[in-house]
Amino acid sequence: MENLDYARLQMAFTLGFHIIFACIGMVMPFFMVVSHKKWLNTRKPLYLKLTKAWQKGVAIFFVTGAVSGTALSFELGMLWPEFMKHAGPVIGMPFSLEGAAFFVEAIALGFYLYGWNKLPETFHWITGIIIGISGVASGILVVSANAWMNAPAGFEVINGEFVNIDPVAAFFNEAWFTQALHMTLAAFAATGFAVAGVHAFQILRNKSVELHKAAFKIAIFFGGVAALLQPLSGDLSAKDIAQRQPVKLAAMEAHYETKRNAPLYIGGLVNEQAREVTHKIEIPGALSFLAFGDFDAEVKGLEAFPEDELPRVAIVHYAFQVMVGIGTLLMIAAIIYFISLKKKSWWNSRKFWWFFALLSPLGFIAVEAGWVVTEVGRQPWIVYNVMRTSEAVTPMPGLEYSFYMYVLVYLALAVTVAWLMNRQIKVLNNSIG
Amino acid sequence: MIMLYVVLFFTFFSLFLYVLLGGADFGAGIVELFSSRGNRKLTRDTIYRVMGPIWEANHIWLIILIVILWIAFPSYFNIIIIYLHVPLTLVLLGITIRGVAFIFRHYDAVVDRSQVWYNRLFRIGSFITPVFLGMSFGTLVSGKIILTTDYSQIGFADIFLFPWLNVFTLLTGLFYAALCAFLASTLLIGETTGEVRKIYSRKSAIFTITLVLIGGAVLAYGYFTNMVFVKDFLQNTLSLAAIALSAILLLPLWQSIKKQYSMRTRILAGIQVLLVIFAAVNTHFPNLIITSTSELDLLAGAAPDSVIRVLGISLIIGGAVILPGLFHLMKSFNMIYPKKDLHQ
Repeated sequence: MENLDYARLQMAFTLGFHIIFACIGMVMPFFMVVSHKKWLNTRKPLYLKLTKAWQKGVAIFFVTGAVSGTALSFELGMLWPEFMKHAGPVIGMPFSLEGAAFFVEAIALGFYLYGWNKLPETFHWITGIIIGISGVASGILVVSANAWMNAPAGFEVINGEFVNIDPVAAFFNEAWFTQALHMTLAAFAATGFAVAGVHAFQILRNKSVELHKAAFKIAIFFGGVAALLQPLSGDLSAKDIAQRQPVKLAAMEAHYETKRNAPLYIGGLVNEQAREVTHKIEIPGALSFLAFGDFDAEVKGLEAFPEDELPRVAIVHYAFQVMVGIGTLLMIAAIIYFISLKKKSWWNSRKFWWFFALLSPLGFIAVEAGWVVTEVGRQPWIVYNVMRTSEAVTPMPGLEYSFYMYVLVYLALAVTVAWLMNRQIKVLNNSIG
Repeated sequence: MIMLYVVLFFTFFSLFLYVLLGGADFGAGIVELFSSRGNRKLTRDTIYRVMGPIWEANHIWLIILIVILWIAFPSYFNIIIIYLHVPLTLVLLGITIRGVAFIFRHYDAVVDRSQVWYNRLFRIGSFITPVFLGMSFGTLVSGKIILTTDYSQIGFADIFLFPWLNVFTLLTGLFYAALCAFLASTLLIGETTGEVRKIYSRKSAIFTITLVLIGGAVLAYGYFTNMVFVKDFLQNTLSLAAIALSAILLLPLWQSIKKQYSMRTRILAGIQVLLVIFAAVNTHFPNLIITSTSELDLLAGAAPDSVIRVLGISLIIGGAVILPGLFHLMKSFNMIYPKKDLHQ
């Protein structure tokens, strides 16, 4: 493997971790403030217990998210100095605002964590809301910068230099809204189902059932609503990509031949050499309809693009299938949950809780898969149709050692955080009995 | 044009606050590292009480600084990030380790033997991180960076290791670590009473002397090895005056520590740091990076006006939200205007 491959692996690996920490850090504060509000309203001790338990989770995830984010702000430059040299000023606006939002979040977190019994109750609660809002704002801003890489705007390239820079136009690029919406909903769905699943598992184990049911309800509400809205956002994204990045759409669908009334493949094995997909389920005309709202619309196939501008089709296609598959499953799960509110007897069934416990990790798998679709699907470009990833990489040799070090550190971090969460849950269960 | 000054102000303002607040935070771990076994627990609890509410905010100044650099001064950022890849990776490693160790040791639901590891990682991370940071700062002015586009002609070590790994940068690294320890011990004095106070007073004195000695060593080494930056520094009246003033301020600082004026002590220590940074930056502004063959102008590589304008506006808006919030946070938790009854 070359330096470029190790740089890409390291970026993928560190972002892959950061995306999880960041999503949880963004969404969990909302669970926390809902529970906190219930404590303020009902004064039931279990809500106070839950709020404080979730608060510890928020603190741990915020810090791991923050340090991995600090590392990333350096890594962007360390791995891709040529990209940052040219693109840095163009996408500076979302990043500088993100820095501000992140700062607000850290300040609010300081108030919240240390404010128990010191600050007025309502003010204290509001600082919790600010943590959540500024977290979501940070996420949206960072995604807008990523959207710019897919839909470059607000500059011209003259003699290899980026000139006539308009940072506001770059910020409001064509992809920013669909991507930010899709990612925000994904964060809520993934974290909602993950947290709900953890509590469902505790209910199965018959530990502090009342508390875990209360926790489950809060988490699944956010996750469920997001999962129901996500297909709509996905549709917006697909139509946007069909217009803007037809090659990415073609890779997602492993769609090789340009044709009208293009079929949609579900599943299937991609053979990149033979340029064909086997063992698939085919729905005639569905791709044309989903991409352009017309069964007879022409959808460009991969054959329409130069060989050296194609991403790895198999990876993009499989990742896309995983994302859509899980998205559909979570949507069904959300419907099941909302029906169960009318049919209370389901709550006595162990199957019900097993179902949600097993769904726990899936949302995050979908998040990772979706992120693979957007990033691998853009290759070989780092800035779509403007700069190749190979042109952006650092000249420093020996990146494999850097990669191994990050793998080691992040794995250790992941294991430790998982272990700490397990300890939190144990203590939570024991303290209530 | 005015916006360029706004951006420059925020650049150095973030640098100053990171050196000061981030420094006090690193220093707290260093003080803990150099505490006797019996005092460690006390130091640990005091640090948590004093720094806890703002410790995360302390480190965001680094992100703000790096983001401003890459947006407003991309060619500068490019040099820093390519040639300091290795030490900055070590800085990140240190930040990660001490950051998570800090939160783990205070938020782990179970208190058991793993605390020993959290503490160990926190203390060691707190020491090595500012050393590598100081080494990185030192490298930029050392005149040892070799700019090249042909990486096959010069060896890996000559480009990516030796420029930051030498006697001079080691001294600047230790200088920054000592500065951190000085800040932290000065801060902690105000938070303690009785016998413990004496321990921290002694620590503060030791770290102050260490700081002055290492500072002298940096200058002496640079002078005798004909380093451009140091030579220019020693000929720059304004920089020398700033350093002298910073040294003179030690007298009122000690006075104020003795009289238990917490707030005045902190302000004085802050001014001293400001003077040291000013002296260093003033010497070579705007040519802050000195490589083996040339001096690089910060302003010459600035981003176009359209970028600077938007960044300036973003920073003003961000600052208007952040600074009052931060001030209120510090005030609420007695970091500014500490309650009198705590000390008397």
